[in-house]
Amino acid sequence: MKKKVLAALLCAAMAGTMLAGCGGSGDGEGGGDSAGSRDMGVEGEDVTELTVWTFVENHQDFYTEMAEKWNEENPDKQVNLVLSNMAYDDMHNKLSLALESGEGAPDVVDIEVGKFPAFMVGDIGLLDLTDAIAPYKDKVVESRLDLYSKDGKYYGFPTHVGTTVAFYNTEALEAAGIDYTTIKTWDDFKNAGVAYHEATGKTFAAAETTAQWMINLMLAQKGGDYLTEDGELDVNNETMVEVLQYIKDMQDAGAVATIAGGQPDNEEAYPLYNSGEVAVAIMPFWQTSRYTTYMTDLSGKVAIAAPPVFGDNDVVKTIGGGGTGTAVVASSPNADLAAEVFAYIKLSDEASNEIYNVLGFDPVNTAVWTDTALTENPDNQFVQYFNTKPFAPLLELQDSIGLLKSATDEKMPSINNVFTTQTLNDIFESGVDVQEALDAAQEQLENEFAS
Amino acid sequence: MSKVKRFFYSQKAAPYVFILPFVLTIILFWIAPIANGVLLSFQDVLKDEWVGFDNYSRLISDKMFYKAVYNSMKYMIGTLILLIPFPMLFATLLNSKLMKGAGFFKSVYFLPALTSVVVAGTIFRLMFGEMDTALANQIMGILGQSPIKWLKGEWTGYAVLLIVACWRWTGVNILYFLAGLQSIDTELYEAASIDGANKWQQFLKISVPLLKPTTVYVLTISIYAGLAMFLESFMLWKGNNSPQNIGLTIVGYLYRQGIEKRAMGYACAVGLVLLVVVMIINMIQLVATGTFKKEER
Amino acid sequence: MAMDTIGKSQKKKNAVATVLMIILFTILAILIILPIYAIFMASFHPGNFLLQYGLNLDPDFANMTLSNYVLLFTGDHDYWIWFGNSLLLTVLTVVLTLVISSFVAYGFAAYDFKGKNFFFVIVLIILSIPFEVIMLPLYKQISTWGMMDSYVAVVLPFLAHASTIFFFRQYLLGLPKSLIEAGRIDGATEYGIFFKLIVPIMKPAFSAMAILNGMNAWNNYMWPLLVIRSSSKYTLTIGLNTLINPYGDNYSLLVVGSVFSIIPIFILFICFQRYFIEGMTAGAVKG
Repeated sequence: MKKKVLAALLCAAMAGTMLAGCGGSGDGEGGGDSAGSRDMGVEGEDVTELTVWTFVENHQDFYTEMAEKWNEENPDKQVNLVLSNMAYDDMHNKLSLALESGEGAPDVVDIEVGKFPAFMVGDIGLLDLTDAIAPYKDKVVESRLDLYSKDGKYYGFPTHVGTTVAFYNTEALEAAGIDYTTIKTWDDFKNAGVAYHEATGKTFAAAETTAQWMINLMLAQKGGDYLTEDGELDVNNETMVEVLQYIKDMQDAGAVATIAGGQPDNEEAYPLYNSGEVAVAIMPFWQTSRYTTYMTDLSGKVAIAAPPVFGDNDVVKTIGGGGTGTAVVASSPNADLAAEVFAYIKLSDEASNEIYNVLGFDPVNTAVWTDTALTENPDNQFVQYFNTKPFAPLLELQDSIGLLKSATDEKMPSINNVFTTQTLNDIFESGVDVQEALDAAQEQLENEFAS
Repeated sequence: MSKVKRFFYSQKAAPYVFILPFVLTIILFWIAPIANGVLLSFQDVLKDEWVGFDNYSRLISDKMFYKAVYNSMKYMIGTLILLIPFPMLFATLLNSKLMKGAGFFKSVYFLPALTSVVVAGTIFRLMFGEMDTALANQIMGILGQSPIKWLKGEWTGYAVLLIVACWRWTGVNILYFLAGLQSIDTELYEAASIDGANKWQQFLKISVPLLKPTTVYVLTISIYAGLAMFLESFMLWKGNNSPQNIGLTIVGYLYRQGIEKRAMGYACAVGLVLLVVVMIINMIQLVATGTFKKEER
Repeated sequence: MAMDTIGKSQKKKNAVATVLMIILFTILAILIILPIYAIFMASFHPGNFLLQYGLNLDPDFANMTLSNYVLLFTGDHDYWIWFGNSLLLTVLTVVLTLVISSFVAYGFAAYDFKGKNFFFVIVLIILSIPFEVIMLPLYKQISTWGMMDSYVAVVLPFLAHASTIFFFRQYLLGLPKSLIEAGRIDGATEYGIFFKLIVPIMKPAFSAMAILNGMNAWNNYMWPLLVIRSSSKYTLTIGLNTLINPYGDNYSLLVVGSVFSIIPIFILFICFQRYFIEGMTAGAVKG
């Protein structure tokens, strides 16, 4: 008897599978909008199908929207995007495996900046995009193109500048008697932090353990880096020690503290900011979209300002942080068309407008930065959310946006890995001496690159 | 009937036909990959070069690899200590005539084994969050302790891993021992009872020694599972990167090198070391417990 | 009279022992249920609560909502595709594994042939090789064969499943050889004997192994993750894991999806407990 039940259940399961399968494909054909995968559903003889991998879901919206515009303007070269969204690690892992085996790679893929150098090793499986970028090159922040380049060739279309700025929770700071506009230098920042902590018992800003947004900013301001001029491993250099020691001193004084999630751009950290447990974030500009999405309670209570500096002699005032380079797989049969289409999708003026409106990023095409119709549009969600004009600090910083030279180096993914798993935890969670922790990191990395 | 056909149907050929699918699977999906793994471990796959013993010499001086081995060993030993004696004791108690509702408890204890590690890991990650409102810290609060950053400390992280292991496997191991207890003659207990042995003595003198085959089995799979553990850590730390690598295991390191860093050759060397370690430990264990002779019979 | 007193005090002692044991096992049961209960309760709360407060036992009835379930059943996501894929893969794996493994096991159990011990020792050795060791080379192999992103590649390497073969062999060893002889006298072929005489009497063993293999297939993660590329082919475990993504607030679906992924197995377990337990403990008994 029971066996019959089992058989029946299995049959039901099979039937269910069929139905689910049908439902699934039905969605897709209808130009569906399911979360994981989607298909624009453009049909026709001249339409070229391009598969696209992303790891950020709303990039799918953006690409679809821009591809529709492209199809309108180029009826003879229409494309149909088939997009798959995957988990961040999985997507990069699968891409590297696919490029290596020469099979199963998409036509176009989003590669996160931290992972990009890993794809610049050996035989580069990505298409040289220099020609596709040429029509837009004058308008684009060059350091962002350099981020995805090797030996003078460009391999990725940047999405944004990621200008590092400071986000202040003005309501919380004012309640503690702190005026954020007086914070100009890191010493001001530190003093404000100590005062805030003493007044409220809460955390002023984060001592990062799982990312290096603030660390890289300070490092760049002091003209330091992770590597020597010749690209040799040098993570325990004097400047690095100074920067981390400075943050460590801030931690000891109570101005910064480690937070859940280890950095402001983390799902565990958003609630802390949202509830006012942590007041200040030193983050790239794209943190704006995290505020509007995850920290909705703070609407009208956050100001964006230029980040603190050490002094007038700083090498740069800020740096670009984070980013996603959209690359074209060289072996794709439609590689050239894909390059042309995605240059349009990511670098054109239209694209820049959309990048700000949809994604809230500071577009790499600076031609639009001064377009107040866009940047001060009262209907824009970011203009509405923040107390300050979002683009004001960007224009102030525009000419002094630096880049760590090491960002494009193939050693960088490993260095970041050691810092975010080991070194920063040692220093800020376990209280290991800065020099000691950095020496250990240097030794471990030397071992890794020895072979 | 043709000759071939007749041979195919003969009693002589039949056993080989029967085991053919297995032999094919073994050759294609076990022996070939292992041989391949050995070859790859002497290569730099990315550059497509033969590098001799480079991968192995790098392994010998790789502190991170030792950390991974240490973590895996530590985890395995922890699971052996927690997941053999206690389930054995619980099974004996559940098997006792005095116990009521043993069937119900058995079923309840089995439930965690049904959940996938992906789901279980996520549940425990959220239970052991840093906030004072997460379950584990709530309990600490009730006990008058301050909240703990469970997944950031070496030993607290280790404790969470063991808790997950106990949660998932206590019930299963209880079932193993219960199955073993069924084969013990109840008259033995009665005789011992008449001789004046109390329950605890009966457990030590009868149950424990007679459960040896079961214990050996559980020991073997626990060693295997402990050393090959990866997914639990992967889920608990939401990826392969735990603070100070407290959750890094041998397989995690293999995954990091082979998949995340594309050092396929190096990863294969790591894999082969794991293979050798598991084999050696199991051999020692089987020889020491005298099971090996029986298997070869 | 004296005997009677001893009997009574013994009875009392026994009753105390029973109560103490029930208390002990109840505590244990509560500890084991706790996480399942917590995630079940969490599925009735908004996803961002989890991030804000972690998983806990506060019932918080005021904020209870069915919105996650509404999302699960009517929302815009791939969950049911994943669910269907997992079901398909599970059924496929179970059916094929049982057929092939029993076929092989019969060969080991019913015949004496040259090399039998050799092959059987290989079964035992394979039982103790962690799959992770061969994972990467096997992956490379699959990709040179052009089998990437196919369910065939997910299933094929495990069809002649060592521990299932081992279990079936043990089961078949207990069968009387006279049955086989009788079949031969009736003129059945060697394969006919297996399919017509042996398979029908193996049903209990099949049930146990169906459940064990089904559970493993349903919960499998690493290998499908490596092999499958297109998100339309994702299984439930892979799909759920894509929801744990720093770039999206997907915890609502994650929690309710996790709860729902456990339910089919729980139901099967309640119906077929005996076979689950037999399947799980199969290796331990005769070892």
